Amino acid sequence: MPLVDIDLIIGGPQGGGIDSAAQIVIRAFSIAGYEAFGIREYYSNIKGRHSYFHVRVKETPVRSLRYPVDLLVCLDAESPFVHMEDVSDKTIVLYDEDLMNTKIEQVLTMESETKKHVLDKLKEGGFGTTIAGAIEFMKKRGAVPYPVSFRNLVVGALGPNKPPARYANTLGASLAMALMGLPAEFTSRGIESIFGKKKEVLEDNEKIVKSGYEFVKTHNNLNIKELPVREAKERYILTGNEAIGIGKVIGGLKLQTYYPITPAADESFFLEGHDYFEPVMGEDIDKENEVLKNASVVVVQAEDEIAAIAMAISGAMTGTRTATGTSGPGFSLMAEALGYAGINEVPVVVTLYQRGGPSTGLPTRNSQADLMFAINAGHGEFARIVYSSGDVPEAIDDAVKVFNYAEKFQVPVIHILDKNFANSFFLVDPLDYSKIKIERWKLSENTENFERFKLTEDGISPMGMFGKNIIWLTGDEHSELGHITEDPETRDAMMVKRMGKLNTILKEIPEDEQVELIGDKNADVTLLSWGSNKGVILSVFEKLRTEGVKANLVYVKLMNPFPSKLVSKYLSTAKVLIDLENNYTAQLATLVKQNCGIEVKNFILKYNGRHTTDDEVYEGIKRVLDKKENRVVMIRGA
Amino acid sequence: MAHNYRTDLWVDWCPGCGDFGILAALQQSMTEMNKKPEDFAIFSGIGCSAKTPHYINAPGMHTLHGRVIPFASGVKLANPNLTVIADGGDGDLLSIGAGHFVAAGRRNVDMTIIIHNNGVYGLTKGQASPTLARGEKTKGLQRPNILDSLNPVALALTVGYTFVARAFSFDVKNTKDIIMKAVKHRGTSVIDLLQPCPTYNDINTKEWYEQRVYYLDKDPSWDPVVKEATSEASEQKYLQAIQKSLEWGDKIPLGVLYQNDFVPSFGDRIADHITNYFEVPPALSPIVNSEGQPVARMEKIFTDRLIKR
Repeated sequence: MPLVDIDLIIGGPQGGGIDSAAQIVIRAFSIAGYEAFGIREYYSNIKGRHSYFHVRVKETPVRSLRYPVDLLVCLDAESPFVHMEDVSDKTIVLYDEDLMNTKIEQVLTMESETKKHVLDKLKEGGFGTTIAGAIEFMKKRGAVPYPVSFRNLVVGALGPNKPPARYANTLGASLAMALMGLPAEFTSRGIESIFGKKKEVLEDNEKIVKSGYEFVKTHNNLNIKELPVREAKERYILTGNEAIGIGKVIGGLKLQTYYPITPAADESFFLEGHDYFEPVMGEDIDKENEVLKNASVVVVQAEDEIAAIAMAISGAMTGTRTATGTSGPGFSLMAEALGYAGINEVPVVVTLYQRGGPSTGLPTRNSQADLMFAINAGHGEFARIVYSSGDVPEAIDDAVKVFNYAEKFQVPVIHILDKNFANSFFLVDPLDYSKIKIERWKLSENTENFERFKLTEDGISPMGMFGKNIIWLTGDEHSELGHITEDPETRDAMMVKRMGKLNTILKEIPEDEQVELIGDKNADVTLLSWGSNKGVILSVFEKLRTEGVKANLVYVKLMNPFPSKLVSKYLSTAKVLIDLENNYTAQLATLVKQNCGIEVKNFILKYNGRHTTDDEVYEGIKRVLDKKENRVVMIRGA
Repeated sequence: MAHNYRTDLWVDWCPGCGDFGILAALQQSMTEMNKKPEDFAIFSGIGCSAKTPHYINAPGMHTLHGRVIPFASGVKLANPNLTVIADGGDGDLLSIGAGHFVAAGRRNVDMTIIIHNNGVYGLTKGQASPTLARGEKTKGLQRPNILDSLNPVALALTVGYTFVARAFSFDVKNTKDIIMKAVKHRGTSVIDLLQPCPTYNDINTKEWYEQRVYYLDKDPSWDPVVKEATSEASEQKYLQAIQKSLEWGDKIPLGVLYQNDFVPSFGDRIADHITNYFEVPPALSPIVNSEGQPVARMEKIFTDRLIKR
């Protein structure tokens, strides 16, 4: 067992620096040689509503979270109420004692439905309806309250002229780190690595750190042991959005279009901040070409998602690696143009970050309910690739690969991701470039009467592009030249050409890029899943193994064309098969049934929009195995 | 030998269609521009006008209903060396694609937009388009049109187009001259191209237009060009153009109504930040180096995400 395995939640108002507080924790622990992982949960709101960061710290790689947490840091009045069930007998609850008598009715940020649910639980247990009552509720669960006057500490550290609320996040992080036993030096360095070395900021924060640590030292009734410092490596701290952006840029992205939407826009925003850079051209090119000393990515905010994908499609037809990024509502608008990319065999990448639907749904919450839509969006039948990634390290590689797929097979690629992935923080090692391959289209001589849609054995024609060839594209059925035709024989030939690519794709994409079988070959229980649940499932497998239960995961990445043979092979030996997804209808299991004829009978599902955690997956597997339940719905998360 | 800008397809517009004149004017202007055919990219939306690219022997993209502007913009953004012309119908550009039409005025991508303006949706049998006046009952309508028409010229001016002109497709020579000027303009140029539909619009016919159109440049005092980069200078020409745009009925002005070369194109705006954008545009920027490895490196670009020791 690892010595250190700490889960914490830092909760506070949206816009109150919760993000920075969590980053301080992750960065500080990284500098001290630890591994960390976190996910951000937030409302569709700019300022005021409750947001929180769930973080886990270990000595060994970490890729999932669990309840109950070990430390709950409440930076607002709402946190003690909404997180009161996230604690157990080991949890330290850090909260602002000045808010003790705040009644739940006074917490204006709280939604009335949530208030009602919390009130019911407080009343049921005979607790008061103030923060004190919520603290009592947690105490009864064994949690250890740790009251602090945030105001007094900030005023004590910085004097009366600095607004305490502005320092709540650094103070909260400092107190949390002190309670976890991380030496203060690392907390300071974590803060510095976010806020930079601006003198005044640095000095203020230093005073805050000091006062936080001093407070914990003088109010140490918890017997805190200082954590050992470990050997640290240089790491990148990356969110899922950033990982995709980085993968795209390394893969040769030159034009990205988008229309603002959560949780996709963070990627484009990140790209805008890194759009002009120094490339590594190799010696020959450097000497000849002064103008190539800088490279760029042109990021364009379009007027809507229809324009975004239209620009991306035509941009891709100049031989440019082009992508657009969106979420459910925007992707719905892109459906028609996606078909255009299909019939014109355009190598364009659409990065789809799933969030809770339908309609606006849960705009800032997680979902995996757009799998079927990604596969079927657009009228008519055409070849497309739908490819899934589940965590930051694989997403960087995959973002390069999906460009390769798009160009090699000349099809639109939908890179399907989810909000949990987008808003998770990972620590990542520097890249090994020898493993990154860039593969592009089939080219041919530019001849007169260049046939952009030449009929070929594998369905793939030589790529033609604007600026190079005389080509025609049309959304109508077309001849090899690209002119409109309604000739029935040509129609048949073109349908066979385009749809036949699906076989070419299955044949050429290496098997391990299609589906991964992770875990014991000879397992007692087999999970079928995709996307951001991968980390949680693998983490639960470690626990199951200690109990003598062998488990494996069939982790599907290529969703369309569906790798039926491979999935069938992996599933055919399953003793107990459980499908785990973040949707209501078990869409991956439906795909398996449709393509493999295998009926999955056990499900662990979650569709409340919150991140999946170890405890609920463990419980779900147990309920299927031991209690023979066949549909478990996971409901955790504030 | 000069490149032949005609393809050998049979042009399937109705006899007497105004689109023939636009096609001829486009082909003539492309010949006169003396470029390689690969230097062009011709776009269209959906409908009769949308077949235009297929009849031009140069790279072409027949896109989706209403989306011709963003498709055309994408190619220009990726490769600003290309000469981009976007043909759309009046329904295409001013109804289903009206949002893009407005956005294009703000963006000022260096390209030319031609509105094939005939007042009807021809290919679906003559429904009213946004430029048909209220109360008019063309052949294909069950009842007189109950929507007001919009003014494409005034709309274009209001949303910021930097070159706005009107032409009449049966005057091929003048149409060609206007296309040449429009293409030369650095920024988005739009031409309201009056293009009678002989099959479904029996009101705004060739003859109807011929009795009404007149040429602005016949009047030596007419000058639509903004002369200096001041707001006063552009405002004066803008107001003059707005006033002219209201002239419709007995007299319909043709020619350049407004031209402002002082507004930076979208490409210029990109190049303010990405200084080698025109020299190494996205389409021509290498992504693999001489060793076959990606030219973009994490440690050179994303250092702000590196946690230093």
